[in-house]
Formats: sequence, structure tokens, C-alpha cells
Amino acid sequence: MLKMHNVRKSFRTDTIETHALRDFSLEVKEGEFVSVTGPSGSGKTTFLNIAGLLETPTGGQYLLDGEDVSNLNDRQRSRLRNEKIGFIFQGFNLIPDLSLFDNIDVPLRYRGFSAKERRKRIEKVLEQVGLSARAKHLPAQLSGGQQQRIAIARALAGEPRFLLADEPTGNLDSLMARQVMELLEFINEWGTTIVMVTHDPELARRAHRNIQIVDGQVCDLRPVTEQPEAATA
Amino acid sequence: MLELKPMLSALWRNKVPALLIALQLALTLAIISNTVVIVKDRIAKIERPTGIAVEEIIAINVMAIPNNYDMIGAVSSDLELLRKLPFVKDATITNQVPLSRSGSAGTFYTQPNQEVGGEVSNRYNTDPNFINTLGLKLVAGRNFTNAEMQYFDPSEIRDINVAVITQQFADKIYPDQDPIGKPLYDGNTSHPIEIIGVIERHLGAWVDWSKAGNVAFFPIVRNTQDVNYLVRAEPGKRDDVLKTLVDKLSERDPQRVIKTRVLSEYVARSYAGDNLMVKVLSIVAATLSFIVALGIVGLTIFWINQRAKQIGVRRALGASRSNISRYFLIENSLIAVTGIALGSAAALIVNQYMVRDYSQPVLTLLPLLICALLVLVVSLAAALAPALRAANISPATATRSV
Ligand SMILES: Nc1ncnc2c1ncn2[C@@H]1O[C@H](COP(=O)(O)OP(=O)(O)O)[C@@H](O)[C@H]1O
Ligand SMILES: [Mg+2]
Repeated sequence: MLKMHNVRKSFRTDTIETHALRDFSLEVKEGEFVSVTGPSGSGKTTFLNIAGLLETPTGGQYLLDGEDVSNLNDRQRSRLRNEKIGFIFQGFNLIPDLSLFDNIDVPLRYRGFSAKERRKRIEKVLEQVGLSARAKHLPAQLSGGQQQRIAIARALAGEPRFLLADEPTGNLDSLMARQVMELLEFINEWGTTIVMVTHDPELARRAHRNIQIVDGQVCDLRPVTEQPEAATA
Repeated sequence: MLELKPMLSALWRNKVPALLIALQLALTLAIISNTVVIVKDRIAKIERPTGIAVEEIIAINVMAIPNNYDMIGAVSSDLELLRKLPFVKDATITNQVPLSRSGSAGTFYTQPNQEVGGEVSNRYNTDPNFINTLGLKLVAGRNFTNAEMQYFDPSEIRDINVAVITQQFADKIYPDQDPIGKPLYDGNTSHPIEIIGVIERHLGAWVDWSKAGNVAFFPIVRNTQDVNYLVRAEPGKRDDVLKTLVDKLSERDPQRVIKTRVLSEYVARSYAGDNLMVKVLSIVAATLSFIVALGIVGLTIFWINQRAKQIGVRRALGASRSNISRYFLIENSLIAVTGIALGSAAALIVNQYMVRDYSQPVLTLLPLLICALLVLVVSLAAALAPALRAANISPATATRSV
């Protein structure tokens, strides 16, 4: 599904060069649920951004579904993001001016589905996240947990094969966090590959596999047994 | 792939900035479209045909110094001299210089002793050479002859027998009739003046007068202290002729004060106000468009910055760069169209007021449409750079900033 080999990413400002990822190699298989942990600033988000085609690596090789994505143009990358990848963010990132229905509709419109197809899909995912009754509401009218469920619905509506989540429970209390986690597990059971960055050791343990990133490199590839001290974000 | 419905509902939730831009555009359209019709009207006025060979004509004013000077005797000698000068095509005498803002006019009737109706017209007292000197075109009948000329003292009352008039005056006073041979009555009189010829067009002394094209020429010369000659030079020779004129006339008879001025200078002075109006209004319209464009650039940039996060999220969800630019351009067009709709209504209302109270020209559909298009183009051009900039917002904005 995802294969990175010696991926490097550095950010250069006037004064300093930060190496966010250094010789980063990792493979995620189809259907896996991988949790990513590591101290703040270690490169977790950078990894997700490269995996999700939000940023381009400075060097190394990245194969998504066996395809080398380094030479794709903006349109092709946008299309891949739209069709294959779903994103869930720590801050939910719903568009405040759009109703929940229209929020879920955003990626579907970029996909070019017919109005009928979009409606069908939106109604289906709203039902999956248990918020059908709120379709016409604005994001601000919902609790954080509900907003994140809508964000998950938005990520799912396009039926992506690959779901990337950057601290999806970071802004939620533990009850809501658990609900979101259950939803993700459910989605994974239906075949979607998930990579989730988290600071919550309990949630990290529930994944099939935990990867620890330290200082821009994969530190450990064992199944989770014990957790390093969780850093605060 | 148009996202009009969600775009409209998002716009509706941001009414204030959107409406501000729309109102700015509306105001601009209302002002510019009314400005354009006024400017267009003034330009048409300035450029309307005069029927006169303006660039080739010199006006000469001759004023006698002695009180009992025999002007009538001087006129024939002066004209004879002028007509013989090198590069001079012809010369004539006249009581008024065309387009000079100083002249004479009268009311003429089709019936003797008529007191109502009638048509006002410029009146020229001149000689048969006026047609050739002014470069006019006789389209019907004939010119008057030297035999028909009458020279007399102002104290004398003489009946005028024949007249040559402009087509415009003929159409007004004898609509749908052949004017040749028809009578004109000068004021409330009973002596008919026969219309013997019609010239295509001519403008009288006052360019701002709606009847400037109503002109009648009469074969009379009054013995006054001062007279005007018009001299027509060969094409391109006007300034050469001008140099010698005063000397030659003074040489012939030093008892006069002689002043010359080229006709084109009179014309320029007559239209100075209109030209100024055209310039000022054009500058106002251009400045206004520019300021509004700047306003749109500013507001669009502000608005896009406010939504930077949202743009990053859209990019993360699959929007390409062009999707993003297009979104803002379409959004801008929606605002512009709203502004144009409001502005068109305002323009027409303002115009009604301008027509009624300031007798300005009526704003018709075509100039309004052209101005609306212009406003749309200005608005889109102003939004283009910010919209392209918005497309450069990184999709990583979605994950990087919280
Ligand atoms: N746009 C950027 N410009 C400069 N440095 C950046 C940028 N984004 C991230 N970094 C740096 O890269 C490193 C890794 O960041 P990140 O991947 O966000 O870490 P994490 O998500 O693990 O907290 C950090 O040192 C961070 O400061
Ligand atoms: Mg992070």
C-alpha cells in the first residue's frame, strides 16, 4: 500500500535547516491499522503529509499503491489525494461556512460525482457516523466529538483505500476519543488501511502495529508492548 | 463541477464584505455609465460636422478709426485685394464668424405677420462668395448673385429679397416640402424673402445652442464701423497667408485697426468647456475604476487570507490549484454580477434625474452593457492575482496550523 525508502525532508529558513525526516523507511500493508507515536517535533506530521501527498519529500522514494508519486504534477497529486486518501485532522478542519452536508460534499464535488451519487454517499456516511439528523447544521453547532465524526464522514465518503489521521483525538475528551477510535476500528475492519498519529498510549496500543518516530527516523518496528513516555503536543 | 449552491450559502454567511464589494461595483457602474454617456455626447458634439473648411479659414476684423468712415467703399476694395493675394482661394464679408460665440439670430415665419410658431435661426449678412470661402456645399437651388447684393446704412430699412438656408433650417421650417421658392418672413413682417438655395450644413456662432445648425444667409452688407472678412487659404497655406494679411490691408488703407485670428482657434475656444468636461470626467471615471480595483484587490486578499486554512483543507481533500483559483474567480463574478445588477438599476435612476434636471443624454442599453462588461472585467482582473496567490497556499496548511 505505502512504501517509503530513505525518504528525507528538510525545511530551510534563512538561518537554519531542519531535517524533519532523515532516511525514513517504512512499509504499510493493505488493510493495516498503524499507529504512530513519538515526541513532539519528531516528524510525525511531516511523515503523514508526505504519505498523503500534502508535501513533497526532499529526497528518497515513495511508492503509493506501487506507483512512484515523486514525478506527478499538481493535478495528478490532487486527484490521488481525492480518490485514494482520506484525511482526518486534529482540529477537525470543517469549513465553518458550509453545512455538514456541504462539508462532506466538498471532496465528492472535486471527484466529479453526479448530484445523485453524492447525495447517496453523503447520506450513507452520515448514517455511519450517527449524525444523519444534523445534516443541515453548521459545524459550530456541534460538539468537538461530533465535528470529528463529520470530518471522518467527509474522509470516508469518497471510499478511500487509505486513511491518514493526525492526532484525531487530540482535541477530544476521553469518552469522545474512544468513540472516534471505535469508528476508526470499524472502518479498518471494512478494509481501509489506516495510519494514525496519536499521543494516547492506550489508543496507540489498539492498532495492529505501532511505529515510533524519533528525530525524523523510525525508531522501532515491533508490535506494541509498552509505550515510551508520551510527549505532550 | 460548479459549486454554486454551497458557494452562495458560504457567501450569504459572509454578507458584509461581499456586499461591500458589490456596492462599490454598483456605485462605480452607476457613475461610470452616466459619465460615459455624457462624455460620448460631448465628443459627438465636438466632432459633429460643421460643413466648414475650418483649418483653411482666417477671420479678419477691420475697425475704422474715423467716425464717418465709408466702410461700404472700403469693403469692395478690401475684398478685391484679399482675393488676389497669393494662396488665397476666396474671401467674403460677414456680420458673424462661425463658431465664435458671437453673432446674430432671428425668428422666421412661413406666413406674413405671423406671431406664433416660427423657427429661430442664425443670420448671416454676407456676399455670394460665402459658399466658396467657407467651403459649403450647395445641395439645391442657387447661390445669390452680385446683382442681388444690397449695401446700405444701418439707419435705413431695406427689404431683403432672397436667402440661402441650411438643410436643417429648411427641414424645420418647411418639413417634407421643397423649400426652394418658398417665402420666409423675417420676424413679424409682411415682405417675403424667397428661399433660393439650400446648403448641406453649416454651424452658426454658438456651439452650445440646439439650433446651431439653423442658418440663413442674406445678400446684404450694412455700413458699420467694423466688418468681418473671412479668407480661405489653399490647403496648408493658411499660416503663410496670415503673415501678410494685416500688412497688405493696412497698406491699402491705414485708417483701420485690423485684427486676425484663425477660425480653428475660435472653434477650440468654443469647445474648450466641452473638452475640459470630457477630460475631467474621463479622469474621474478612470480614477474611480482604479480605486475600486484596488479595493477589490485588498478585500479579496484579506478575505483569502482569512480563509487560508480552509483553502489548505480543500487542497488536502483533493482540490487542484486551478480548482482553488476558479473558486475565487467564480465567487468574485457572483459578487460582481450582484453589483452590476444593483449598479444598472442605480445607473438608470441616476440617469433619469440627470436627464430631467440637467438635460443630460439618456443612458441607453448598449453603453450600459458595455460599462457593465467593463466593471466585470475590472473586477475579475483585480481578483485574478489574489486568486492565483490563493492557489499557492500549501495543502499542508491543513495539518500545520491549528
Ligand atoms: N513548514 C516548516 N518550516 C520549517 N520547519 C518546519 C516546518 N514544518 C515542520 N517543521 C519542523 O520539522 C520538524 C518536524 O515537525 P512535525 O513533523 O510537525 O513534528 P511532529 O508532528 O512530530 O510534532 C519540527 O522541528 C518542526 O519545527
Ligand atoms: Mg504534529
